[in-house]
Amino acid sequence: MKHTFRYYMAALLLLLTGVACKKTFLDKPSQNVPTLDTYYVNAEQVNGATALLYNQVWYNYIDKAFHCIGEVLAGNMLTSAGDPNYGFNTYVYFTVQSTDGQVLNAWQACYKVAGNATVLANTFEQKKGLVSGDKAYLDRGIAEARFIRGAAYFQIARIFGDVPIVTDPVALAASGNYNVPRYIQKDVLRFALEDFKAAEAGLAEASYQTGRVNKYSAIGMQAKVHLYLKEYDKAKEKALQVINSGKYDLYPDYKKMFTSSAANNNIESLFALQWVASGGYSYANAIQAYAGPSTLLRPDFNTGYSSVIPTIDLLREYEAGDKRKAGSVMQHGFSEPNWKNDNFPNGFVYDTTWKTSDDDAKKIKTGTRSNALKYIVGPLSSGEPLNTQGGSNMNIYMLRYADVLMIYAEAVLGTAASTSDATALAAVNKVRARAGLPGISVITPAAILHERRIELAFEGDYWFDIQRQGFNKAKQMLEAQERGTFSWDGANVDHLGITVNSESQLFLPIPQQEIVSNPELAKPAVPYY
Amino acid sequence: MRKRNQLFSGVFLAMLFTLIFTQSFAQSKKITGTVKDDRGVVLPNATVTIKGTKTAVSTNANGVFSITVPANATSLVISYVGMGKKEVAISSGDILDVTLIPSSANLSDVVVVGYGTKRRAEVTSSISSVTERDIKNLPVAGADQALQGKVAGVTVTNNSGQPGAGISVRVRGITSVNGNQPLYVVDGVPILTGTNSTSQDQLGGTPGQNVQSPLATLNPNDIASIDILKDASAQAIYGALGANGVVQITTKRGRAGEGKLAYDVYYGWQGVQKKLKLMNLRQYAEYYNSVVGEKNVNGLDSIGEFKDPSLLGAGTDWQDEIYQTGNIQNHQLSFSGGNGKTTYFMSGNYFDQKGIIIGSGFKRYAARVSVDQQVKSFIKAGMSVNLSRTDQKITLTDGQQSVTDLMLYNSPATPVRALDGTYLSTATIQGVPFGNTQNPVALAMLRNVTAQQTKAFGNIYADIQFLKNFSLRNQLNYDYQVGENVAFQPRIMNEQTGQLVIGPNRYRQDNTTSFYWGFQTYLTYNNTFAGKHNVNVVVGHEAAESKYSSQYATVINTTQNLQSLNAGTIDPSQTGGGKYPWAQESYFGRVNYTFDNRFSIAGSVRRDGSAAFGPGKRYGVFPAVSAGWTVTNEEFTKNWKGISYLKLRAGYGIVGSSQTGANNYTTNIRLASNASGLFGQAGAPGVPANVGNPFLSWESVKTYNAGVDMGFLNGRVDVTVDVYRKITTDMLLSTILPVFAGLDPTPPNNGYQDIEPPVTNAGEMTNQGIDVSITTQNIVKKDFSWKTNIIFSHYKNTLNKLNSEAASIAGYSPTFTPRLVTLTVPGQPVGSFYGFVADGLFRSMDELNSGISYPLPVSQTGTWLGDIRYKDLNNDKAVGDQDVTFIGNPNPTFTFGITNTINVKDFDFSVFLTGSYGADIYNFSRMQTEALFSVYQNQLVTAMDRYTATNTNGNLPRYNQWNTNNLRISSRFIEDGSYMRIQNVSVGYRVPVKWAGRAKMTAARIYFSAQNLYTFTNYSGYDPELGAFNGNITRMNLDYGNYPNPRTFTIGANIEF
Repeated sequence: MKHTFRYYMAALLLLLTGVACKKTFLDKPSQNVPTLDTYYVNAEQVNGATALLYNQVWYNYIDKAFHCIGEVLAGNMLTSAGDPNYGFNTYVYFTVQSTDGQVLNAWQACYKVAGNATVLANTFEQKKGLVSGDKAYLDRGIAEARFIRGAAYFQIARIFGDVPIVTDPVALAASGNYNVPRYIQKDVLRFALEDFKAAEAGLAEASYQTGRVNKYSAIGMQAKVHLYLKEYDKAKEKALQVINSGKYDLYPDYKKMFTSSAANNNIESLFALQWVASGGYSYANAIQAYAGPSTLLRPDFNTGYSSVIPTIDLLREYEAGDKRKAGSVMQHGFSEPNWKNDNFPNGFVYDTTWKTSDDDAKKIKTGTRSNALKYIVGPLSSGEPLNTQGGSNMNIYMLRYADVLMIYAEAVLGTAASTSDATALAAVNKVRARAGLPGISVITPAAILHERRIELAFEGDYWFDIQRQGFNKAKQMLEAQERGTFSWDGANVDHLGITVNSESQLFLPIPQQEIVSNPELAKPAVPYY
Repeated sequence: MRKRNQLFSGVFLAMLFTLIFTQSFAQSKKITGTVKDDRGVVLPNATVTIKGTKTAVSTNANGVFSITVPANATSLVISYVGMGKKEVAISSGDILDVTLIPSSANLSDVVVVGYGTKRRAEVTSSISSVTERDIKNLPVAGADQALQGKVAGVTVTNNSGQPGAGISVRVRGITSVNGNQPLYVVDGVPILTGTNSTSQDQLGGTPGQNVQSPLATLNPNDIASIDILKDASAQAIYGALGANGVVQITTKRGRAGEGKLAYDVYYGWQGVQKKLKLMNLRQYAEYYNSVVGEKNVNGLDSIGEFKDPSLLGAGTDWQDEIYQTGNIQNHQLSFSGGNGKTTYFMSGNYFDQKGIIIGSGFKRYAARVSVDQQVKSFIKAGMSVNLSRTDQKITLTDGQQSVTDLMLYNSPATPVRALDGTYLSTATIQGVPFGNTQNPVALAMLRNVTAQQTKAFGNIYADIQFLKNFSLRNQLNYDYQVGENVAFQPRIMNEQTGQLVIGPNRYRQDNTTSFYWGFQTYLTYNNTFAGKHNVNVVVGHEAAESKYSSQYATVINTTQNLQSLNAGTIDPSQTGGGKYPWAQESYFGRVNYTFDNRFSIAGSVRRDGSAAFGPGKRYGVFPAVSAGWTVTNEEFTKNWKGISYLKLRAGYGIVGSSQTGANNYTTNIRLASNASGLFGQAGAPGVPANVGNPFLSWESVKTYNAGVDMGFLNGRVDVTVDVYRKITTDMLLSTILPVFAGLDPTPPNNGYQDIEPPVTNAGEMTNQGIDVSITTQNIVKKDFSWKTNIIFSHYKNTLNKLNSEAASIAGYSPTFTPRLVTLTVPGQPVGSFYGFVADGLFRSMDELNSGISYPLPVSQTGTWLGDIRYKDLNNDKAVGDQDVTFIGNPNPTFTFGITNTINVKDFDFSVFLTGSYGADIYNFSRMQTEALFSVYQNQLVTAMDRYTATNTNGNLPRYNQWNTNNLRISSRFIEDGSYMRIQNVSVGYRVPVKWAGRAKMTAARIYFSAQNLYTFTNYSGYDPELGAFNGNITRMNLDYGNYPNPRTFTIGANIEF
């Protein structure tokens, strides 16, 4: 018995020690992704990270809020009846509330852009102390990230007015105190301006890769921010710097600029979001899936929702002979021979004589008998790279030369009632000339607004042009608009006008849940500087 | 054998003596009989005593006894371990058949406690047990579903009625915001592999529910018993994995004796319990006309065909199109037995359920073998192999543009199909198109979404006995699972109309492989000193490792709608994969000491190391102690009347959780391969995926438990009551930041392209509650017995702390454009509904102009007569963003289950009621069906009674297409989710042995049962049992196109040969 006992005890000890694991047993580092310790040590890795700042981070804004805010509030577009994803009808009726989904989307997306840009800029700054050798790529990355952050805050300030500013999200997370106040809009715009100045200082005159922002992109954005700050001299100075650089010009084919990715990053483009169709949802430009007509997208895609369509008011704004109309909207008879699908083997024709659902495949009858054309690139036959929803590679312009020319003209005009300054007239008439229109001889605020509305239609900007006119002017402009649709037989217009009651309606409300968790946001704004 | 012989000879002598003794005084007679349990299973070794004497015999292996009784003997007393004693009068007959009813105070029952077993009498912590017969024959896919209403302190809710869908099982409230699924341990093998189907948004619509029941892959018919470790003093031996409770499943094994062949079968029919009262075409036309008739509605024309609704038919009833009669069937064949040193159990199972919503179903094929062998006198070894294959076919539900969502508001004016049978989407009536472009029937029938799991798990063990009191067990556990999920959408055109019925063509296939192994070694010492001091010690070590890998690929435009990756063009944005390793190493020990069957104390400690944390933070120590005092074993209770058993228990312990994403301790780089090619760059760009926290470590859950086990009236009434307080500290919590911080505001992983904020050990949560379990033997008679089992569970959940004072966890609606519906903040229960308080309608201009300003000015397009009036909660004379509050609590006040079992001769009846009281539901579906914002969408008939200029007393608000005032997240859509459900009614008949025997059967029972027969509730939706969306506790009781639980009628048989 004693022998057996010893035998068992020995076996037991052997087992217990045998199963105790090696010290490395619990080391299971990720096999899928690198970690920060070993990353951002070369230009390629840094450039890859900043590349994303032109892309996916913006998606939730571009997706729907872009149209709801920039165009529907502006009276350039209508949302389809009661679409809950476009705030029901509230952007048409000016009844948007703080619980609306697109309010949250716009807020979240723009702050996401700012947050990503900030984290990258801060990370690169830390990396500078850790890598040896040439660190120029890190400095360039920081400048580029700050440009994007500036663009994000510019957007946030325009949409929401007085908002919080966060310069280090990681430190904020660690602090446990998230009660950041709102800062007055003027200071938020200045914060954006400072970022653009830093970008101007850190970026070369030429983009290091086609489509990247450069020194002039940053200067152009400064011109625009100055305009919003009503600092006309500075706006003029900055716009002139871009004009005098000789690096930019108007792209001759206005329609192609918005309907073909071959025109991406053209001579007119100072800053544009870059999309990758093969990246799938949220990496591709999805505008044609939402704004395009079903007859064009189906049956290649199950999209083409006509969720937003041009207003009668906008259609009426076009001067006779303005070539931009054909480059911006589809109306009855519009055709495009290269856009072929099963139902249009000989090329797409926009036909509004729809009568019954048997006509669904080939005809469409939207409330204003039109669809927007900008950022629509057509079905598979167009040869454009497209994802399964019909999302495209098409850039979205954030700043283009035509805008800079108009900023210049407006800056020259300043607070005057009119101007006949030759350089300003030359700038505006250059834009008009491309549109096939005769030049004007006097610039008035109304003329500038008209030109901006038409030139930049569906580019998500016109609402802010109305907004910066101040309450009285904005109210007058908005209440004069026709937001109705054609009656079913098309004989007349079912009129819809709106009333604007308070200045607060010029800015979207801060999302309700943000105020819930941070009551500071309900308090009056404070200065940042 | 020797002991047995002695016993037999003893009995024999006693009988002989009795025989001689009684014969000398009076006429004696010989009585024979059979002893069985309430299910007709014969009981060997039952004791049969002549009342008033010490004369006793035992039943043989066939449950048969034979005893000679004196003439003056009046009755026999039959007893059996774990069964209530039974007294049987000696009637004129010489043959007695006795049925024993199990007593609930199964003090001799063996309870699985983790790395060992204990007798129930020695248990000092809170452990609830469920036996095979409690869950047998229930028409459910998994054993987790079968636990519903059976165990005090365990709340089981079906997340969906989809066959094989996820189940929310919560042991004593909500432990953490990180998921609350308990640890399932099958024969010592922890089931750690989750099973998900492919997310619905692969094909369009919002993601929907895609978490499946982890137990659906396990054949419930193979389960012998389930022991649920409810308090930390019981769980602590599982340390790091035990925080959410441990459900230990013991499967059937063979018993020595004659081989047994059993066949269990049922077949059932399933249907939807309730239909909603949606408008038919006539009502819809009336509604349409009345809206158009309101002069102030823009852009609508009345339709000629609708002018006289009485001429119209009923139109399409989309509910009838979606719901069908489902079937359910289960076949189980098992062989078991053993002789000498070998025992075996083998089974095969086929389960097939066709869901009540078209296009859904679940199948399982399972096989199991277990063998135990006494290799040497001191070594016992064995193994088990469980093989299963499950096929789930899914109809997408629970989200925007899911079948169950579209069906609710699709116009009755739209036909499902054209006359030639092809699907249609929209229909035009006088120039006005009706119907959604997505036909819900076509979506359900033409898409193919499946989840398939092939699983092999089990263990191999050797028990070595050395010396008298030591045993060493080595056990190797394994679990290998291969999953294949498919989401396919064909592209189908209606050739007649040129309409796209469904598209685009897309085929996605996800393959996952998971391999887990664990090796346990533990030494048990058991000894009794001086007859009074029992000591049991366990020390051991366990190492476990798992490797999980996934690969997924998507192709588009497959040729001829073929479902293969080979048939189309690859979509690189939806193609990828990854590897996810995991490991844990643990040391554990436990001491039990029992004194004189009166006092017991137990202590355990476990040290766990997890790969989830960084170097230096990997180890956690989890101790526990508990004690029990069996008062009724004290001398002074001898004369107690009424109370036959009383035991007091108390325990304290700490368990842990490492439930967090991998590698959160470091900053990882997310590779966005989707964006490769940007600016002509090659390779995947990388951005920080998260903010690393090197200090991240274990979450711990402390539990204080006190309990009492009582028996009254000689075991006729048994009561167990436990009260507990459970405190979760250092909760693994993603830092919840405001949105404007710019990091992911809804972590973890809700915005997978966001930078995740750091995960920290910050949160704290408390659950307090009481579990009550009462069993009464109301009637115990020879041919008539009635037993009642009542369980009651109550918990109160409070979140004490998040990362900061201002932090909150937002829960969003499952819509494309998410809306805040729930808010989880310190001081409130988790997942509380949050919104405005609706206070009736504006019915007069005076009310509109009462001096309180509303966000929208008074006008037709703004705030107007017939709109919902919201309360000005902060009394600032304006209804604004701050006038929101907690408007509902999705946590029930209590849940309960009542089971009545009645046996009358060969018949058995049981009625099982279950219910939940006090939980609120947010009826998101009603935001569609009573939305009143678009005439093109169908509504509930209640919408007919809306406010209009002529119906100023209308119940519902006005038709409002101008703003969303009436559709705010508000108390308008909060409903009481209390319910009581007749969960199961069954009638069984035990075929008498003399008949069954003719077919060579040893036992046979046939039965009929109705499951989910009727639900008493005020909830207006389909089913008040909603569970948590994908198990996410911030999305509990949110009804948005939920798949209702079916009503099932089954017939079945249990046959033994």
